[in-house]
Amino acid sequence: MNRTRRRLSRMAMFVVLCLVVVVMLFPFYFMTLTSFRSYDQYLAGSGFSLDSWAVLFDTIPVLRELFNSTVVTVGAVLIILAVSTTGGFAFAKLGYPGSAVIFLLLLAGMMVPVQSIIIPEYVNVSGFGLINQFQGAILVYAALGAPFATYLMTTYYRGISNELIEASLMDGASYLQIFMKVMLPLSVPAIVTVAVLQFIQIWDDLLIGLLFLQTPEVRTITVGLATLQSSRMVNIPALMAGSLVSALPAIIVYLVFQRHLVRGLTMGMGK
Amino acid sequence: MDLAGTTERAAVGQTEPLRRHRGGRPMGGRRRAGFVFSLPVILLVAGLLVLPIGQTFYYSLTSWDGITSTWVGLDNYRQLFSDSTFWQVLANNGILLASIPLAILIPLLVAFLLNERVLGWRFFRSVYFLPTAISWVVIGMVAIRFFASEGILNNVLRTIGLGSVHTDLLSGEFSAMIAVIITFIWSVFGTNTIIFITGMATLDREVYEAARVDGAGAWSIFFFVTIPMLMRFIQFAFILTLITAFTALFSLIFIMTQGGPGFATTTLEFFVFEKAFNNGVFGLAAAIGVVLFAIVFAIWIVQFRILRSRTD
Amino acid sequence: MVYRRFAAVAFASAIVASLLAGCSGSSSPSPSAAASAVPAASTTASASAAAPATAAPPVAISLWHNYGTEANATATENLVKGYQALHPNVTINIVSQPANNYFDLLKAAAISKTGPCLATQWTGLFTLQNKAYLEPLNKYIPVATLKQFKGVEWGSDNFNADSGVYVVPLEMQTYNGFYNKDLFAKAGITALPTTWAELEAVDKKLKAAGIQPFVYGTGAQGLTAGFYPFYDLSYMMMMVQVSDWKKLYTGELPWTDPSIKAQLDKWVALKANGYTNTDVLNDTESWSQFLAGKAAMTLEGTWAISAAEKALGDKVGVFAPPFSDQPIKGIVEFPGDGFAMTSYCPNKDVAADFLAYMATPDAQKIIEDAGLIPGLQGTSTNDPLAKALLSFGADQGFTRYPMIDNVMQPEVADTAGKVLVAAFAGTMSTQDALQKMADALMQLPADRRSPSGYK
Repeated sequence: MNRTRRRLSRMAMFVVLCLVVVVMLFPFYFMTLTSFRSYDQYLAGSGFSLDSWAVLFDTIPVLRELFNSTVVTVGAVLIILAVSTTGGFAFAKLGYPGSAVIFLLLLAGMMVPVQSIIIPEYVNVSGFGLINQFQGAILVYAALGAPFATYLMTTYYRGISNELIEASLMDGASYLQIFMKVMLPLSVPAIVTVAVLQFIQIWDDLLIGLLFLQTPEVRTITVGLATLQSSRMVNIPALMAGSLVSALPAIIVYLVFQRHLVRGLTMGMGK
Repeated sequence: MDLAGTTERAAVGQTEPLRRHRGGRPMGGRRRAGFVFSLPVILLVAGLLVLPIGQTFYYSLTSWDGITSTWVGLDNYRQLFSDSTFWQVLANNGILLASIPLAILIPLLVAFLLNERVLGWRFFRSVYFLPTAISWVVIGMVAIRFFASEGILNNVLRTIGLGSVHTDLLSGEFSAMIAVIITFIWSVFGTNTIIFITGMATLDREVYEAARVDGAGAWSIFFFVTIPMLMRFIQFAFILTLITAFTALFSLIFIMTQGGPGFATTTLEFFVFEKAFNNGVFGLAAAIGVVLFAIVFAIWIVQFRILRSRTD
Repeated sequence: MVYRRFAAVAFASAIVASLLAGCSGSSSPSPSAAASAVPAASTTASASAAAPATAAPPVAISLWHNYGTEANATATENLVKGYQALHPNVTINIVSQPANNYFDLLKAAAISKTGPCLATQWTGLFTLQNKAYLEPLNKYIPVATLKQFKGVEWGSDNFNADSGVYVVPLEMQTYNGFYNKDLFAKAGITALPTTWAELEAVDKKLKAAGIQPFVYGTGAQGLTAGFYPFYDLSYMMMMVQVSDWKKLYTGELPWTDPSIKAQLDKWVALKANGYTNTDVLNDTESWSQFLAGKAAMTLEGTWAISAAEKALGDKVGVFAPPFSDQPIKGIVEFPGDGFAMTSYCPNKDVAADFLAYMATPDAQKIIEDAGLIPGLQGTSTNDPLAKALLSFGADQGFTRYPMIDNVMQPEVADTAGKVLVAAFAGTMSTQDALQKMADALMQLPADRRSPSGYK
């Protein structure tokens, strides 16, 4: 009796989870369906055509902009990882006078909406001549993502036992060696977590990309897709095709690293 | 060493110091190393984040069109607080805030289901996170078509026989906010579910067994055992969701409702955009940004105190 | 250890990536490029097809537009091709920019001087707002040539071409109604309505024949929510003269005036009486619904002509929405956008020469071939719908009005965009809507409402 009840309830759970899948994946279905219609077919509501894919590749330099997005995103993520791992180590294990306050201020940096600070930021970066240069955008993205990443890494590092570090110290290791040989290896899951989350956020960003990388040579794919719209008309099927292309790298990154992602969040929070 | 307490204190920035040890490095070395290691992130954030934030605070006290600025003191704030639209916008943020518990509860429940290791749970876990990779533009477009009068929601209602319940959520002021909130919850669902799954995986199964032995039913286990033990994760998810809600919904609102009908779905963040970018009144926009920042910061502090006292 | 190498590689790549990025990212042509080559090039920037400058040093300038995939983009490309054929030493780099935040981008680019020599500008108050980084063209192009463009005053300082023209119009646009001739015939309608009363009669006939009279929604734009109420507002405000629209700007004619409220009430009644669809705020399919014959009338503009003709052929006609007690005698015919030259352009002579080229017959033909209505005096168009639209002003003596959103302060226009649609949808009273618009106007400092600013 109990066994049957349990099996029924598990089947019910399974059904629920399947329904959730449908709800979650619906936009992908919509994107794909719409992208394979020409503009007129889209207005009419049915049909199949590769027209809109042609329009997409004709209107914007897709491959070039995918490359640009990759450079900017990977560059920013690498910098974020570099500063958040070192900073996390410092705030978690190597306290010094004032480090607690600094850490708090760092976290506060997460809470400012980008729209508010983007203009002073632009003027500053422009003063250094870094507009339309990859470095300008990379640095801005890195600075915006660093607080959250440092928060995660710090929390994660706190969970690493002090004994390990102290043993290394007694063996005469320098802090740099401890960092490279002890902390980093243990924190691969957290690093992957930060990398994946920041990758997606930076890749999909519109505002900073628009202002800091103004020309098609350096523009990101997300901004490029926005040029498919004018104020009066938009070619929706082409936009859907572009959105699919743009979503692919993020999905690939996620699927490849997802095992580490799960472990990263576990270790970071659970200790 | 109490690791749980460590995490609590860590979250507000206190460090558990390394023990003094015989021989080896002097204590000063640790502090210096700490300073050096934290320098990169401090420099990066100070130069490229704190500086513009400071400038924004400054500009909020000026009238600025992007090129020239004139000092106006607290005028922007005065104008802001006497604008009835501002208070409506603030109320919208309040409604959004009130929906965050729901954005946490639903993933929590689903994570609970997944934790029961139902068939295919790994597949489900992968799939639920995928929508995070979709841009807000697409989500907004699909949402419009979902809530439309001839849209998917109404179609579904018809097919299951509830055709008399015809919705047109995006046309009404309050209902449009509901539609935006539903879409928002949908979009953070994946991230929060992952957070909670991994959280549950770290829990000690012995506590569960003990509770079951004591005769507790599934629901009471959920409420009195699982949730308290997951508090750290809930806190993390809360912050993440709050920040997303208050500072990252701009594109969604832009596509779905343009902040309307009227100002019904205009949040503070959207308001900043309107003032700054549409109207070119950057000083006022800066002031709104300051207010928004203050609110998020205050909520953060508050939720820390609350959740901290529960776990201590 | 593997991890150590991983870490080392990671750090190294970060540095390398930034360096690489720096190298490949610095290839964007900056405006200061061939600055010194300018004086040698065409010194006379007069109109007419200038003789190709032989042996002139190569010059490169950029042109930014926000036309997306519209016909305007095609027209722009072909104009550039045409000009480059005549001036082989000149290269004009066309950059398509996103339409959203376009003007902020231009402002930002003006600050960092990374912007283009030529840029699409909207006319009316939009031009005046941006004139800080625009260059008046009167020094480079004879005023007589500039005045050949219909409506050029709307892109000029003081709305007067003699004071300084900023924008050379690309095309003539209209806001207008489209109607389905077949559906009208089916309902037994033989004449287009010209007053509110006649419109009411037409609506009733359509409904009796089982046809939905109007469809409102996101229209041809189809992406973001809400409909654009300024087509309707322009026609509603034709109860006053063009020159009196200035009074709306200064507040002399307040938005809460009873005459305006009366117009708004009649307009809102269209939906309340069931002459439109119910989901006016979020019908993203409204344009395709009109094209599929699901409604008899809708409001759009010249940019929608080609899609209308493609779908409905000769079954589609155009009309001036009769939002008036007296027979409507106005048409919104306005050069809504064109090209302007930036003040920091290092090759102003060349840029201005391109703008002058737009006044040539060849250029006007290019514009017409792209499906736009040429904006020069004396040009005509072959497209039947476009012809019909132009004939309102040219032959039937209709007064040409600007697009009202081009001559309202942006704060007021923003508010209007929200509250007017809310009023139409029935979630806000017309009184409240107009009050909010008046408030938005009054909250502006006095210099933003002064008559000297409306020019």
